[in-house]
Amino acid sequence: MNSLLENPKPTSRDASAGGVAHQIPRNSLVLLMLAQVVVVLPHAAHLSLWIVAVGLFCGWWRAMVYQGRFGYPRAWVKLLLVLASGLGVAISETGTFSLETAVALLIVAFALKLLEMKNRRDAYLVIFLSYFVISTEFLFDQSIPIAGYGLFAMVVVTAGMIGLNQMHTVVHPVASVKLAGVLVAQALPLMLILFLFFPRIAPLWSVPLPGGARSGMSDEVTPGDIARMTRSDEIAFRVVFDAEVPRRSKLYWRGIVYSWFDSGTWSVGPVPRLKRPEDLIHWAGWNRDAVFFPEHDGIEAVEYQVLLEPTRSNWLFSLDIPWPLTSGTALTRDFRLMTNDPVNSLFRYEVRSYPGARVDEDLPDWMRDRERYLPADDNPRTVAFARRLHSESSGTLDFVSKVLNHIRARPYGYTLEPPLLPKRDSVDAFWFDTQRGFCVHYAGAFVYLMRAAGLPARMIGGYQGGEVNPVTGHLVVRQYDAHAWAEVWDSGYGWIHVDPTGAVAPERIEHGLDAALSSDDRATLSTLTNLRMGDFPGLADLMYFVESMEHRWNIWVVGYDGALQANYLKNLIGELSPLRIGLAMLVGGSASLSLVVLALFWRRRAAPSHPGVRVFRRFCDGLRRHGLTRSPEETPAVFLTRLARERGFPEGQIATLIDQLDALLYNPERQADPSELRRLRRGLRRVRLQLALNATG
Amino acid sequence: MINRSSSSITTLDASLHDSIDGVVQRLSGILLGKEPQIKQALACLFARGHLLIEDLPGMGKTLLSHALARVLGLSFNRIQFTSDLLPGDIVGVSVFDRDSSTFRFVPGPVFAQVVLADEVNRATPKSQSALLEAMEEGQVTVEGETRSLPDPFFVIATQNPSTHTGTFALPESQLDRFLMRIELGYPDPDVERELLRQGDRRGALEDLEPAISAERLAEIQSAVDAIKVSDPLIDYLQRLLHFSRHEPDFAYGLSPRGGLALLKGARAWALLHRRSHVVPEDVQAVLPAVVEHRLRSSADFSGHGGGALAQKLLSNVDVVG
Repeated sequence: MNSLLENPKPTSRDASAGGVAHQIPRNSLVLLMLAQVVVVLPHAAHLSLWIVAVGLFCGWWRAMVYQGRFGYPRAWVKLLLVLASGLGVAISETGTFSLETAVALLIVAFALKLLEMKNRRDAYLVIFLSYFVISTEFLFDQSIPIAGYGLFAMVVVTAGMIGLNQMHTVVHPVASVKLAGVLVAQALPLMLILFLFFPRIAPLWSVPLPGGARSGMSDEVTPGDIARMTRSDEIAFRVVFDAEVPRRSKLYWRGIVYSWFDSGTWSVGPVPRLKRPEDLIHWAGWNRDAVFFPEHDGIEAVEYQVLLEPTRSNWLFSLDIPWPLTSGTALTRDFRLMTNDPVNSLFRYEVRSYPGARVDEDLPDWMRDRERYLPADDNPRTVAFARRLHSESSGTLDFVSKVLNHIRARPYGYTLEPPLLPKRDSVDAFWFDTQRGFCVHYAGAFVYLMRAAGLPARMIGGYQGGEVNPVTGHLVVRQYDAHAWAEVWDSGYGWIHVDPTGAVAPERIEHGLDAALSSDDRATLSTLTNLRMGDFPGLADLMYFVESMEHRWNIWVVGYDGALQANYLKNLIGELSPLRIGLAMLVGGSASLSLVVLALFWRRRAAPSHPGVRVFRRFCDGLRRHGLTRSPEETPAVFLTRLARERGFPEGQIATLIDQLDALLYNPERQADPSELRRLRRGLRRVRLQLALNATG
Repeated sequence: MINRSSSSITTLDASLHDSIDGVVQRLSGILLGKEPQIKQALACLFARGHLLIEDLPGMGKTLLSHALARVLGLSFNRIQFTSDLLPGDIVGVSVFDRDSSTFRFVPGPVFAQVVLADEVNRATPKSQSALLEAMEEGQVTVEGETRSLPDPFFVIATQNPSTHTGTFALPESQLDRFLMRIELGYPDPDVERELLRQGDRRGALEDLEPAISAERLAEIQSAVDAIKVSDPLIDYLQRLLHFSRHEPDFAYGLSPRGGLALLKGARAWALLHRRSHVVPEDVQAVLPAVVEHRLRSSADFSGHGGGALAQKLLSNVDVVG
């Protein structure tokens, strides 16, 4: 390898690869390599380290070639590198073909291309690849900073292309970048038109989208899990209400229903197999009634739109009792919403909720069994406690309030850092011994108590509350708003919503997490979360603003999908047909191009002329109709003298005019006088009038 | 001719104008029938520029320069350029003085207020550049010592048309240093008749008295700088420059120095005509003299065609916006 590297002479094939005209200008090569770094940079986060190393190695080699120290690698070296890199990608991505694998492959190839970038054709390939690499980053992230960075990268790549087309002796990197900036700016209107009109084509084949862990709800929850989620201030979703935002204590965002308990962990549990699927699920747009949907006449509905950040799972969040409006979303038997496909990018859906609707006044047997299930011989003390308390109660509601009173009366505490619980007898340990916990502890224990007393009950996971952004008025729900609560069933009432956390920490429900936390707990949260919770009012305003920008971006750019496009276009051009869309694109495209043309025209326009010049030119234009044309070299004085001679004007009149013109145009001391301008205009008009009279007379 | 005197109610000293008129009159008495050329030469001098006279031998080039020096009361030297002329013959040499055993600098003919460089294109480029450097810097350096030239310093170079044998044409960069180039031309028949009747005018030169003092000349030169220029006129100048740079007929456009020269000449011309500000007629009057030697037609590689290009500039560029 070393002897190869030290081969300074390009082979004869290299020399013949292109004459001088086909070689890459030196300065443009620097720009090209810079462009490569710029476009790969955002990918660095999800690339293996060795790929970055390959890129740096290739860049180093190319720089050596640039300095004339190394030659280009030989064919077999390149082949070896390609094979090794391919193998490397296969190994490091553990054999599965995901989007990351594809991108890793692309970027390795992109880096290796450096080693055979010899002539212009190669350079153009690199440039087009660079544009492509920019666009692939949007598969991973579509936020404003990434979009801005994409524009920046586009300018750099375009500058590389411009550099490639400059004459060898005059390559100015800064000028290229400036010109590229102008070019990209000129392309922006066209980009907008294409964004608005270009049909959103469904992918031709499906590539598994980026995987990887995301914070958020999971289908299994062990007490303590949600407390961990409060460490994150990432946004879970945003909600735009059609009317005003309901009170905070009403904002229970139902996401997952946990019906199964085993070894201290709550999970969704096995889904029962029913003969009729419509007993379990109702998809939006089905033209039949959902058999299990409750009576909702007379209940005022709340309509809203949720913009859900990627969760990599199927469930959606909604207020009780939701009715799905967006196609592709469905209502399940336990009254939560879900989608067909996992949410891998920002997902927008609309919901109509009927708060307070009574559900499941009659419970089917399979469901009754499911929601009363408890593992045998776990938590005996809790079971005994529940049975005793239940026997003392007059009914379900009384029992619930007795349990909540128990929580209120005893020194139960609400904390982000509860003691660890054993897998077995975990509820016993919490209920009788540690007595300190977060919402899952209380909701879980509550459900357990209910079930121990033989009542159907289940735990609901989701988010509680949210924060209204005063700038745009939408609601922002963050990971630290994660919450768990309970539902207990009673005949005649249906499912009753109970939040045991309210008994131990009512401020959590009324005012949010920050009000319920002790200063110790606050200290465990990140600085940013604390800031967001309002330690510094000025900063909070700024954050509101930034957040509202993100929201608008989500609504207008990221969330602009095929359905929204169709809707928008229908309003704009009426019934949709390929011809109409094509025409709209044509019109829009030419409009945007003419915008550029107009801008160029405006820049090239003559500087606003001197008022005296304007008056004189108008006078000359008027005389042309009388057959008197001033030739370019005739000065005002010469022209007027000729006029006087040819048309017989008195010399005195003309001499005055000449004097006035001379003073106005050429004597800087006497220029800025409007009255003089008026006098001149009058004098010239009289000449024209006399000419016109002579012509008729 | 249009009388513009009413618009020239100026702050300038009227006596200044009178002395200028006096100069023109006396020179016209010597060089018969050449008033336009006399005025151009004066404008060039008043604008602190150097003058190049290109014409056939015997047209009165030497007479004009000599008369100029005398009328303006300036010292005068003449250098006849030949192919064996050396730079030392122009700027001067140090000679060893045996009495005092030191080197003594003997100033060359360039140390005069008006220097006539006769047939400048007959000398070798090395000698030419010795003079041209003196013109540009206003000083000469001989053997490591810099000596400033007298003020005012006015070079009138004459050259034979470059098609004559034994000439070294001045390169464009050096032609650019002359503010104006004029041609004297043959006299009119009746003027020539007068000339033939009166005999050689050189005798009259001896009787010529200075019309103005050196201080007055300095006043006139600073009065030229004070002539005002309006925006529409600058626009006209810019249109001229732009035209010269973008028309395919022009091998190359006018340089910024060319543009400045045009303005300087126009200012001096305005002063000669008793105006306090420049009018486009001034620009048109001096334009051929100022630009002809700076331009070359792209179809002509011998350095000619400037005259036609100057006419093209005049007739194609609109005077008013």
